[in-house]
Amino acid sequence: MSISNSVSHDGMRTSMFGAIRKKYFATRTDIIVSSVLAVAVVWLLVNVIDWAFVNAVFGAGKREECLAAEGACWSVIASRWRIVLFGLYPFEEQWRSGVACLIMVIVAVLSCVPYFWNAKRLTVLWLSGFGIFYVLMRGGFLGLTPVFEQNWGGLALTVFIFAAVCILGMPLAIVFALLRRSELPWISRTMGLIIDTIRSLPLLTIMFTFAIVSPFVLPDWAIGDKLYRVIVGYAIFFACYQAEIIRGGIQALPAGQEEAAKALGMGYWHRVGYIVLPQAFRNALPPTINQIVITFKETSLVTIIGFFDVMASGRAASGNAEWSFAHVEVYFFVALIFFVFVFSLSRYGAYLERRLGVGRR
Amino acid sequence: MSEHAILIRNMNKYYGSFHVLKNINLEVKRGERIVICGPSGSGKSTLIRCINRLEEHQSGDIEVMGTMLDENVDHIDEIRREAGMVFQNFNLFPHMTILENCTLAPILVRKIDRVEAEKTAMEYLARVKIPEQANKYPGELSGGQQQRVAIARALCMNPELMLFDEPTSALDPEMISEVLDVMVGLAEDGMTMVCVTHEMGFARQVADRVVFMADGQVIEQGEPETFFENPQNDRTKTFLSQVLGH
Amino acid sequence: MIAILKNRHVRDTSFQAGFVGALIILIVALVVTGKSNLEAQGLTSGFDFLERSTGWRISFSLIDYTTSSPYWLALVVGLLNSVFLGAISLSFATFIGVAVGVMRTSGNGMAELIGTTFVEIFRNVPLILQLLFWYSLLLSLPSPRDAEPILGAFAFTGRGIYIPGLNITGLSFFLIVLALVAGASVSLWLSTADRFKAASVAVRRKWKFYAWIVTAIVVIATIWWGRLPETAFFSIPEHRGLNYREGIRVSPELFACIIAISIYGAAYIAEIIRSGFNAIPAGQGEAGHALGLSRWQIFTRIRLPLAIRIVMPTLINQYVWLFKATTIGIAISFTDFFMVVSTAINQSGQTLELIAILMGGFLVINYSIAWVLNRVNDAIKLKGTQLRI
Repeated sequence: MSISNSVSHDGMRTSMFGAIRKKYFATRTDIIVSSVLAVAVVWLLVNVIDWAFVNAVFGAGKREECLAAEGACWSVIASRWRIVLFGLYPFEEQWRSGVACLIMVIVAVLSCVPYFWNAKRLTVLWLSGFGIFYVLMRGGFLGLTPVFEQNWGGLALTVFIFAAVCILGMPLAIVFALLRRSELPWISRTMGLIIDTIRSLPLLTIMFTFAIVSPFVLPDWAIGDKLYRVIVGYAIFFACYQAEIIRGGIQALPAGQEEAAKALGMGYWHRVGYIVLPQAFRNALPPTINQIVITFKETSLVTIIGFFDVMASGRAASGNAEWSFAHVEVYFFVALIFFVFVFSLSRYGAYLERRLGVGRR
Repeated sequence: MSEHAILIRNMNKYYGSFHVLKNINLEVKRGERIVICGPSGSGKSTLIRCINRLEEHQSGDIEVMGTMLDENVDHIDEIRREAGMVFQNFNLFPHMTILENCTLAPILVRKIDRVEAEKTAMEYLARVKIPEQANKYPGELSGGQQQRVAIARALCMNPELMLFDEPTSALDPEMISEVLDVMVGLAEDGMTMVCVTHEMGFARQVADRVVFMADGQVIEQGEPETFFENPQNDRTKTFLSQVLGH
Repeated sequence: MIAILKNRHVRDTSFQAGFVGALIILIVALVVTGKSNLEAQGLTSGFDFLERSTGWRISFSLIDYTTSSPYWLALVVGLLNSVFLGAISLSFATFIGVAVGVMRTSGNGMAELIGTTFVEIFRNVPLILQLLFWYSLLLSLPSPRDAEPILGAFAFTGRGIYIPGLNITGLSFFLIVLALVAGASVSLWLSTADRFKAASVAVRRKWKFYAWIVTAIVVIATIWWGRLPETAFFSIPEHRGLNYREGIRVSPELFACIIAISIYGAAYIAEIIRSGFNAIPAGQGEAGHALGLSRWQIFTRIRLPLAIRIVMPTLINQYVWLFKATTIGIAISFTDFFMVVSTAINQSGQTLELIAILMGGFLVINYSIAWVLNRVNDAIKLKGTQLRI
């Protein structure tokens, strides 16, 4: 449609004004559309800024001012942020919760550094990060007072579930993918049936089944805590989706790679471990990151099963008589937390996609 | 120790209902250099890939270095260790350096220790005349260099037999000779070689026997002089006139 | 002996047998444990409970349902609710998504900016959060006592949205939907069935036209026949005293679900449409320009049809995934299929059977959606193998 290059007829680069004109006002329809939209956007922005900043109340504990004011009541955040982030974790120990979350953020950031793109290093990184997280949260070691899983809540619980699902689900996904690609027809078709069935079911029903229904069908010793049952269920769901992504990565590999490995006398596990999987993961990196991002978002569903994750803690923060009018502000706060994580991860995924595409021969 | 490197008796292969290899009989003695040629679709690549079980044959016997190629997994593993293969598309592992490409299989399969494997690799890389590329990645090398690395990689397993599946067909013309030189050197060192190729000059220079295949059958075979100067079969004559004519 | 163990065929067969055998043992073990646990609690297993009456209410139902209706009817109500919610939300999501996708590739800076903001905001926030947000917004609308009707016929209140509707029986509503679905299926069948491939396009179009005429006649006749006696044809909400009478009330739960799923879905569909547009080579537009077509014509007749054909498989996946998102209704107690099943589990204790029904229901719906859309895809996809696009 509009050809966007900023070289004008005499070959000189146009000024910034000219560039804006081309982008927003190139044709008659453009002028009309841009003007109408601009008016709408400005009207919206004015109202939002009015609500969020101009008439808003900042600072902790200003409940009376909030009720009197017309704008947003950000005091609810200032007063109740601890509940949103840490849930019902004991007040003096909340620093442990905060540090634990920070550690997982560092693990996630480091995973994006190419130095760690190696199965051994990634495994060490995630397992040690998760281990430190668990020790910090749970306590009972190193002189830290024990805090049991029932009291974990808020963002820390969301992060815990997310990390546990990824750590459990990724190896499972590799196993599923290899079984799905097996040359033995019974195995590949059965696995295909299992994967397709689980992928057709809503995540909520799978979480529900594992949380509520599985105690009926498991022997007593296998039942375990509801939290871990849900993590196992979610991990299986994650593994089915990720297995298809890995399979796509394997299929993008030229057949000659496996043939060369066979010709050199390498056995199945050597071939898969050194040649097929490393290259398949490189192929499948952008969809994998997308899958991880979606997993983090969908962790919010556990609130329906009754867990005190960041969604539930948000509702609890504005749920008491004091602050019940300010639920919208709390929703914005929780939304902002998710937005920051999810947006940065998906931007990184887009960046990776461009970088890997260029580097490919 | 068996005298024959490869012994193929009455071998047949089908793709579904398509009879792609018909009653193949072929003997390759140790130290012999065989060149297999023929029009496309004649089954020559399929034949050579059957030897190391990259393709499966349905009937007949294939015996490699005294080991029968059957359903026994130990037999298949042994044959793959002793037979090295060079592919038309090189098939180097792109995520590893040249050196790692060459040392991977010896370390994992022959359980050779890393220092020794690297020493052997550098020797073979020197033999194919590119030792300075050891720490580069395959994507950074030219086609001819990559194919020479592929030959070195196969040699690092110290095979008794080398199989070449159209090694120069994917190369630009100016790089063909550097690869052929390496193969000639290999032949002069006494390696048993079975080579599927269109390079008739190479065949004339190096082969002990040339085998002509068409439509899945061995039509004619003989020493290069007789084969090229005095072909017996009409099909052979047609093929040679097409290939050598220009 | 060792030779047999080393035999490839023996190994392959034993791996396969072992794998399938382990799975079967696992399933049998689960079923047996489940049965014994249920019996220990004094509950019978089996599907007889479906005939029992439920004793509990369902807040939203498209067909007649009372507390004395049997369990199987309750499940049907839930299933219909899910399909209803899914159909409406997916349709809205498609409209909005295509519109936003077009905005993002329009070349107009302002439209692109708005489109991008829309997508980034609604894709990066979890669906359940969006749902709760819209629900709390709808609940804070004025009560029916204070709400003024808009355009004389629409009312936005905290107890629901009142819209005008037709006064016809529930059964005739279903027959109309059935007729429309039948008409669409016949049309699809005419497009894709092998029997008609030999016929020319004009002949097929003629038959499709006849099919739609027949459908229209059936629909109009059903509306006429299904009129409720002694009522006006149109039911328009009227503000009477403390409440609204007449009209159709869309509960806040249903409305919140529709808004949330439509917008969330639209954000994803917009991205898919955008990638479809980006995949069209520039040469197509250039050819259109060279032929003298206007920008609008190039857009509607060349780029939009091509974009849809390119992304159809991805869109199909997205629709299946979006339909599964309707289960989120349980968060605000909208009685979709999942919520009905979980209430039934609570009330009757027949956990295993109901879970099996739940999974079966979703599998059937998902495969149906995928099957129908795959037929559509086959009908419209670009044919032949020599395409240089």
